[in-house]
Amino acid sequence: MTHPSRRPTGTGTGRAAPRQGARAAAGLVAASLLAAGCAGADTNTLGGAPADAAKLALRATTPPAQGPLDRADWLLEDEPDSLDLDRQGGSAGRVVLTNICERLYQLQPDMSVKPFLAEKARTPDDRTLVLTVRDGVTFHDGSKLTAADVLWSLKRHAAKDMEQSDEFGNVSSMRRTGPRELTIRFKEPDALFTKALAGDAGIVWNPRRVADAGKEFGTPGQADACSGPYRLKEWKSGDSLTIEAYADYWGPKPLTRRVVFRWASDSALVNALRTGAADGTYAESPNTAAALRRTKDLRQYYGPSTASLVLIPTARGGLKDPAIRRALSLSLDRKGIADSGYGGLVQPWAAPVGAGAWGYERPRFAAAQKKLSATAPETPTADDLAEAKKLVKEAGAPGDPVVIGTDSSQGRTVVANATRAALQRIGVPAQIKTVPPAQFEEFYSDPQARADIDVLVADWYISKADPMGFYDNGLSDSSNNWVGFKDAAYDRLVHKALATLDDAERARLTTEAQRRFVDAAVWIPVAQVPTALVLSDRLTGPPASQSYLYYPWAARLGARKG
Amino acid sequence: MGKGIVVRLVRRLTGVLATLLAASFVIFAAVYAAPGDPAVFLAGGRDKLTPERLAQVRAEYHLDEPLAAQYGRWLWDCLHLDLGRSFKYSDQVSDLVAARFPTTLQLVLYATVLFVVLGVGAGVLAAVKRSTWVDSAVVGITTLAASVPSFVAAIALVSFFGVRLGWFPVTGSGSGFLGTVHHLTLPALSLALGALALVSRVTRQAMADAAASDHVAAARASGVPEREIVRRHVLRNALGPIVTMCGLVMAGMLAGTVVVETAFGLSGIGSLLVGAINTHDFPVAQAVLLLMVTGYIVVTTAVDAVHPLLDPRVKEVRS
Repeated sequence: MTHPSRRPTGTGTGRAAPRQGARAAAGLVAASLLAAGCAGADTNTLGGAPADAAKLALRATTPPAQGPLDRADWLLEDEPDSLDLDRQGGSAGRVVLTNICERLYQLQPDMSVKPFLAEKARTPDDRTLVLTVRDGVTFHDGSKLTAADVLWSLKRHAAKDMEQSDEFGNVSSMRRTGPRELTIRFKEPDALFTKALAGDAGIVWNPRRVADAGKEFGTPGQADACSGPYRLKEWKSGDSLTIEAYADYWGPKPLTRRVVFRWASDSALVNALRTGAADGTYAESPNTAAALRRTKDLRQYYGPSTASLVLIPTARGGLKDPAIRRALSLSLDRKGIADSGYGGLVQPWAAPVGAGAWGYERPRFAAAQKKLSATAPETPTADDLAEAKKLVKEAGAPGDPVVIGTDSSQGRTVVANATRAALQRIGVPAQIKTVPPAQFEEFYSDPQARADIDVLVADWYISKADPMGFYDNGLSDSSNNWVGFKDAAYDRLVHKALATLDDAERARLTTEAQRRFVDAAVWIPVAQVPTALVLSDRLTGPPASQSYLYYPWAARLGARKG
Repeated sequence: MGKGIVVRLVRRLTGVLATLLAASFVIFAAVYAAPGDPAVFLAGGRDKLTPERLAQVRAEYHLDEPLAAQYGRWLWDCLHLDLGRSFKYSDQVSDLVAARFPTTLQLVLYATVLFVVLGVGAGVLAAVKRSTWVDSAVVGITTLAASVPSFVAAIALVSFFGVRLGWFPVTGSGSGFLGTVHHLTLPALSLALGALALVSRVTRQAMADAAASDHVAAARASGVPEREIVRRHVLRNALGPIVTMCGLVMAGMLAGTVVVETAFGLSGIGSLLVGAINTHDFPVAQAVLLLMVTGYIVVTTAVDAVHPLLDPRVKEVRS
């Protein structure tokens, strides 16, 4: 149900993720050695001024733009895999496409969700959702967007081998019940379905265009099949991608006429921004943003995101005992990790999901997170360490060293070393196992790969602004519950929350599930990873939160001065 | 005589095809054996990595078949001029490569021009001014340049000429002739620096050998001016080894652009290859590596072909 991904630190390999991690230069150079047979080093040690993680102010958006702009040059960390998000869910494609395509619901900059192409939604009962399709919307080929098109799109998303098919697991039927009306029926009430419709499961395609393009749909040289404020002007494979404002857009006109996307990684990306060759980027890696801090003519904005750095224990046994896991959480120096691994651009955090997931009932979630921080201190105090040592003593330290799995990227290396230090401090022997970036992703998928490690230095994010999109990972039968946590009460709680449509009640159930998850230390939270927007100081307007993956951010981009 | 040429051509062509076939199998097997599971990258999000989903993906992309069957499938399509679709980009492999190859080719050609002009020039200078301070300076400076890995050179050049001075763009490959030259100067320079020492050293040595031959001594004795001797006798006789070396260096560069492409944010086939290897994008890795092998064969064959034209003595031995 969640859309987890590699995010901030790894080598961005492939489509395993809705949002690719930045290519760590070390990994890339190492990989190039394989290809080119020469020697390399880490180019990721870029300059920049460290931030103070504790003082990082998160904001949903940037000051509104005052004036029009003819052209903005935007950087991505990788070329989009494809612009057909049903087939390839890479984040580079999504950052572009969210300005071209529109969804039935829309994720707002403050991470709340509201009906969008579905202008109205009714729930006559828990298992029925009736959507009224907005009138007066046209696709970029001029054809009118109809309820039939919406139904066709939903069926395409739900098809067996499509990226979003699992979002439709509870759906029993989807039918057109009026000229502009669709009725969706559910086997079970599904609290997250409308949130999914604000994501890629809610994109409305132009069926005629998709059919025309056939197998080539979403590849360079094809027109788009959407209705958003921008249309795809040109995608030159391996060079650049240009979008331009769509003249007949039904909503407010964007201030920026054209956005030209190029892509570069690591130092090339940093240099392009430094020299003014590019106007902005949403930095996928905190280290990229750290390298650009205090650069003349550039501003940085940090926004709420669901992303987090976590430690995921495995069933191998070294961290089998929840008491040892709790002890590890108590003795981990999260502030040290944030400062030396990520230039202060991640924040010590006590829950496995970032604050961007709080799309509703924010005060309740914030209070719950504060309460949890006793189990996950920023910097362990003497009391924390004494408590941790006591836990280890009672449980008995594992005989074999705890093996920590990581790749060689800068951030992860720091987390791995901090984890080893924390374990050794409380009398648990530990060692680090580093694998090549291409192999790292296997830890997530292959239980056999995990058979060699006791804990993984991981990162995760969810695509829905609802923490409940995360806690199904702790279910007894979840493939992401590696440590074998089994608690019937927890399972009942999660299923109940997922079927509770009332926000306040679901928030209550969610915080309860969260408390149990953290108590059992199914995963160990390390830090939340805010979104980092790096922007030329001539420009302003777009959101700074994780909504940039699902919200037409370019439509708000414009000149600072009118 | 004509018949001999045809036979030789057929033999040469058969050899090239056999080499490519063998290379294609070795490459396929190597990519297949590399650690990591392509299905992981094809499955979608991390939570989708259930055993069922992975099995479904493996079946869809024929990843569950034995190596020989997968290779056979690829070869069969290849013979029908179909290089398949990229796993990662879902675009035609031929389109992906066609869009990126020009960038890499321009980069290599530019770098070749640079190392030929600078390397051969320095070598000639060192040979003519043999055993003087000029000679030592050339050897010293080129050795120093060769000891700097291309990615270090790339980063140093970018930060100085690109970021600090702002003379050159720091990313992209530019458009139009002048734009391309402007964009590719620093990358080509980083690529060429490492080859300078080798090329200048080979040039210097070849010139020295040629200068020591009898007919040069004879020419000297008959009072031909020194400049004439260097140009007509020494350099001419030294061309064979120089051209061979330059050809080999250039052929090697085709496969060595990746680091420089990354440092300068160029989308060439080098960066395409690394991405493909990292994500186990079989069809792309296969196509790019084969293209590199083909490029190598083409360049070395061309060198072989011009060699007899440069040095009449080779002709007899070759046939």
